[in-house]
Amino acid sequence: MKEYIVTVMALDRVGIVRDVSSALSGIGGNITHMNQTVMRGYFTLIVSVEMPEERTQLEIRQAVERNGDVGEFEVNVRPFVEPHPSVLRPSERFVLSLRGNDKHGIIASVTSFLADTGINIDDFYAYIVDKRFIMLVQVSIPIETNLNNVQSGLEQLGKEFELTVHLQHENIFRATSEVRPMMEFDSATR
Amino acid sequence: MLQNEHLDVRAVNMGVDLFDCADRDIDRACKLIREKILRNASPLVGVCESVSRRYGIPVVNKRVSVSPIADVLAGHGKAELLQAAKTLDEAAGEAGIDIIGGYSALCQKGMTISDRSLIESLPEVLSETKRVCASINAASTKAGINVEALLLLGRIWLEIAARTADADGFGCCKLSVFANIPEDNPFMAGAYKGIGEPETVINIGVSGPGVVKRAIERLRQNHPNCNLGDIAEQIKTTAFRVTRCGELIGREVAKTLGAEFGIVDLSLAPTPAVGDSVGEIFEAMGIRHVGGPGTTAALAMLNDAVKKGGAFASSSVGGLSGAFIPVAEDSSLAKAVEEHHLSLEKLEAMTNVCSVGLDMIALPGDTCAETLTALAMDELAIGIINRKTTSVRLIPVPGKKAGDRAVFGGLFGESPIMTIPNQTSDSFVCMGGRVPAPLTSLNN
Repeated sequence: MKEYIVTVMALDRVGIVRDVSSALSGIGGNITHMNQTVMRGYFTLIVSVEMPEERTQLEIRQAVERNGDVGEFEVNVRPFVEPHPSVLRPSERFVLSLRGNDKHGIIASVTSFLADTGINIDDFYAYIVDKRFIMLVQVSIPIETNLNNVQSGLEQLGKEFELTVHLQHENIFRATSEVRPMMEFDSATR
Repeated sequence: MLQNEHLDVRAVNMGVDLFDCADRDIDRACKLIREKILRNASPLVGVCESVSRRYGIPVVNKRVSVSPIADVLAGHGKAELLQAAKTLDEAAGEAGIDIIGGYSALCQKGMTISDRSLIESLPEVLSETKRVCASINAASTKAGINVEALLLLGRIWLEIAARTADADGFGCCKLSVFANIPEDNPFMAGAYKGIGEPETVINIGVSGPGVVKRAIERLRQNHPNCNLGDIAEQIKTTAFRVTRCGELIGREVAKTLGAEFGIVDLSLAPTPAVGDSVGEIFEAMGIRHVGGPGTTAALAMLNDAVKKGGAFASSSVGGLSGAFIPVAEDSSLAKAVEEHHLSLEKLEAMTNVCSVGLDMIALPGDTCAETLTALAMDELAIGIINRKTTSVRLIPVPGKKAGDRAVFGGLFGESPIMTIPNQTSDSFVCMGGRVPAPLTSLNN
């Protein structure tokens, strides 16, 4: 068996996950991971699938496309490779939140800063509610990173864009929300 | 969102054992005390700030408490104890700590020579030092009430007030007199490091009352038909979150400092800031005027719900763990006194169902020593009979009368001076001796 990563983007409707998964299953695939989200009516799906050796990328893509209307699914298929070393460093999870009026270039500036600091983004939400821009980012900060420098850099960006910025270790959210023994939230001491 | 809930940690208190500093030579004892406090407490503020930044949760107060000085310096007289108090004051200042507790005596059954010396030194200590807080345990369920100590304290309260008359008797704000004093209380003025506690220990006070108030307001806004059970449930859930927040921060501070983690104290401790008031919680619960009928029931429900949520959140709940009602330190309570909704008698009734007691009560300057003793006896009697902690922080304000305003400043706040309705108990308290331990003490 060979592993592939398949992504599908489409206008959301009922039944897309069924159509994609039955297409993959129909050509002998076994889905091991799946993640989907819908934003402003647009559906995206990312799937990790094991396929018989003889299947080609083209066959997989065409099988999925055939299960939608003509031109409905935008499908991408890539062979699975091991994660990039930059995301495998020992890290701790933090939650970055920004709030304020929407301005040009906020996301580009913040993500440039994170990338330049070696911080990987694991999850990202940004949306506008009542004309307020809200951005919630789950990030992995390598343990050797100087947290004070990161905080200062983000505060600086907050000032520049007139945003409220908070960077908090994820354990504060977990400890106050999850019913688990406290010892499970014992994190590394910097 | 945590930011919208304004979660904070109200107090991180480091307990430092000083018994290994005991010495017959007071200069040497003070040198050892100073060195030990600096060695242990100097990193406290920096570590708290670093942990606070890591979790995005403010740590409001960083304090130190030490072993009861009357026991550490047993055998020393008043002058030596004053010297030790000044050492504590200076060492706290050097370590960047604004308040240090533990200038204390445990004399619920009787006073040792040093207990008496320590109490007699209080007027000088509380007027000549800036950061030192004192506490006296004058009663317990097991021992009864030491009326001799309270008679002495009656006179001492007036002397402290006289020495700090230009600040409305402010020195008395730094003295708490207890029944059943807890060994692990992180809140001032009553924090000291108990004799049964570890070498160094971190005790935590959870978020202020504003968090609970906002949670109740949110619930009532989103569910206008909610009942009292729903409000209790909301308080309980909020208490779970604030307790977890406190324990997470406390454990990390303790680990970083190489100290043991002690307890999380569930007490809701107000400050004079608007929005940070226990009185405002009552208002959010629908009590129109704090002190009016229903206030005691609301307080009982609040206190109970906080304990239920906190006890599930942590196996290390301790200290006082009950809502505080310090009049001068809570703008809403002070306002209720000003508007004649809240009286001394109602406050005393409320202390049956919460902690701590008659706390931060400004009284007329001409109140006599015996009346102060009698007021303290009433409050401590509630403590010993109900097997709970109660305390008094009484401030006779020199030159001022009931209805005038006492201003203490900063976190100590301000308040109208309260009326004492009847001051004719002298012959009762002057009999002295000890109120025997109640029957409830015979529980073995």
